[in-house]
Amino acid sequence: MSIFPRRARNAEMAISERELSAMTRELDDLHESTFPQVRKALDDLTANLTHVVAKPSTRRGFFLGAAGAVALGAAAACTSGPSGAPNSSSSAAPPPPAAPPETYTGDLKVVALATALENLAVTAYGGALKKAGAGQLGTVPPAVATFVQTAMKQHSDHAQAWNAVLSKAGKPLINDAPLTITQDQVNMLNAATSVPDVAKLALNLENVAAQTYTFATANVTDAGGIITAATIQPVETMHAAILNFILGQYPIPDSFIGVGNSLKPDMLTVK
Amino acid sequence: MHNKIDEGRFRELLEESDDLQSDAMRTARTGLNDYVEAAREACVSAGRDASRWGTVAAAAGGAVALGLLSSPTAWAAAGDDVAALQTAAGLENLAVLTYQTALTLPFVGGSSANAVVKAFATKTKDQHSEHAMAFNAAAQRLGGKAQTGTDPKYAEVVKAAVPKLKTAADVVGLAITLEDVAAQTYVKDVGLVTTAELRQLFASVAGVESQHKAILLAVQALVKANEPQLIALPPDIPKLPAAAGSVGFPDTFYPTTMAAPVDEGAIR
Repeated sequence: MSIFPRRARNAEMAISERELSAMTRELDDLHESTFPQVRKALDDLTANLTHVVAKPSTRRGFFLGAAGAVALGAAAACTSGPSGAPNSSSSAAPPPPAAPPETYTGDLKVVALATALENLAVTAYGGALKKAGAGQLGTVPPAVATFVQTAMKQHSDHAQAWNAVLSKAGKPLINDAPLTITQDQVNMLNAATSVPDVAKLALNLENVAAQTYTFATANVTDAGGIITAATIQPVETMHAAILNFILGQYPIPDSFIGVGNSLKPDMLTVK
Repeated sequence: MHNKIDEGRFRELLEESDDLQSDAMRTARTGLNDYVEAAREACVSAGRDASRWGTVAAAAGGAVALGLLSSPTAWAAAGDDVAALQTAAGLENLAVLTYQTALTLPFVGGSSANAVVKAFATKTKDQHSEHAMAFNAAAQRLGGKAQTGTDPKYAEVVKAAVPKLKTAADVVGLAITLEDVAAQTYVKDVGLVTTAELRQLFASVAGVESQHKAILLAVQALVKANEPQLIALPPDIPKLPAAAGSVGFPDTFYPTTMAAPVDEGAIR
């Protein structure tokens, strides 16, 4: 049931809505029939990552699975590893204490990053619904309410799928949004006073998500992880197109989805 | 159809969009060059003893010519990449041709057309043209031929459909099919091709085709609901039916069951 105040609607619109709702249900049925394929990809990913976690010495073999790919684990090591200068002196100070081992490494770090980002989207849409329910966004059109509810559900499903991978790999679930960008996004949501304010916030998150998954297709090494990112990315871009439309902007401004605004693994704040 | 649009504002939006587009194209071209070099490296490395992979990958640097390849495995990998690119170019060429044809119809590109639908068809045609150029450029740099024809399977679908296009809804339905097949094909190709750069190229285009589909689904829903006047930019949001907010993105995970086989549009 919608949390929004019921809007008066004329009879003609009610007929249209029935037709549109029927179409939506048909499409939902189609979705249910495609989900098993994704589940298989996620199961494969889990099996492979669990194997890697169990055999950390096989790092080289891990990379061999995708010749030419740049491993995020390596990138993360470059950016977040010990940053001291090369040891040029044999005298001297004792070595700094070793950094604690990271919980999420390699592809699992990208999985954790994706989970956190999906959770952030759920938080943003959930927060928007709460504000709307409290009357803090002005009048919320029915189409916008439906958009928010549906997009939030899809992001929740994405997060659940990624968390299942973490769980099966023996890693702690990511149930919040431990990202460097989270506080700014929460602040923007708190400051939102209208539907366009929320739509702009959501559009930015959807674009960041789409670019992050585009980045992931090139930087994850596991085949299951690659295809899962590839199947989620278009869903985020579709959310963005509809949000652009809602904001009165041309819905498909770019011919290619970039990666310049993608989140990188070092933006995950849990180790 | 009733036109409801601020033409001046729409032109501004398209110009802004083109500026953004130019930036994105620059990025794509850089990615394309990176891809070609990486594909050559991967192709070479696939033909060597796996135990030497690291050395080969580090040393390749584009200096090893494709002519040095001797392993059938390496050729197969390169061939699949080129075939995927040619198939993609064929799908893009077909989309360009279809939108071109649609724009000659009075209810899409003529005086009775909805201005938003017309502008969408024009811009989308141009975007598909850019995709075709990108895929063909990559295929050629890898030693393949450019695919200047159309996808053979779906060309037949379009050929059969064109004489029956009597309304904007007919055109939208056909366009949804083409956009969906292209998006599904590229999503699947992300999992098939051999280099990171090519995966990113296919993903970056898949995301755009799916956006075309999203908007077309929304337009289709409004046309079928006999509310074409709501196809406007900016839209009259309060008047949009509730379901219009979700009809554009029916899948939580993008399907691949309709993906074209990797060699469907390949040429020798």
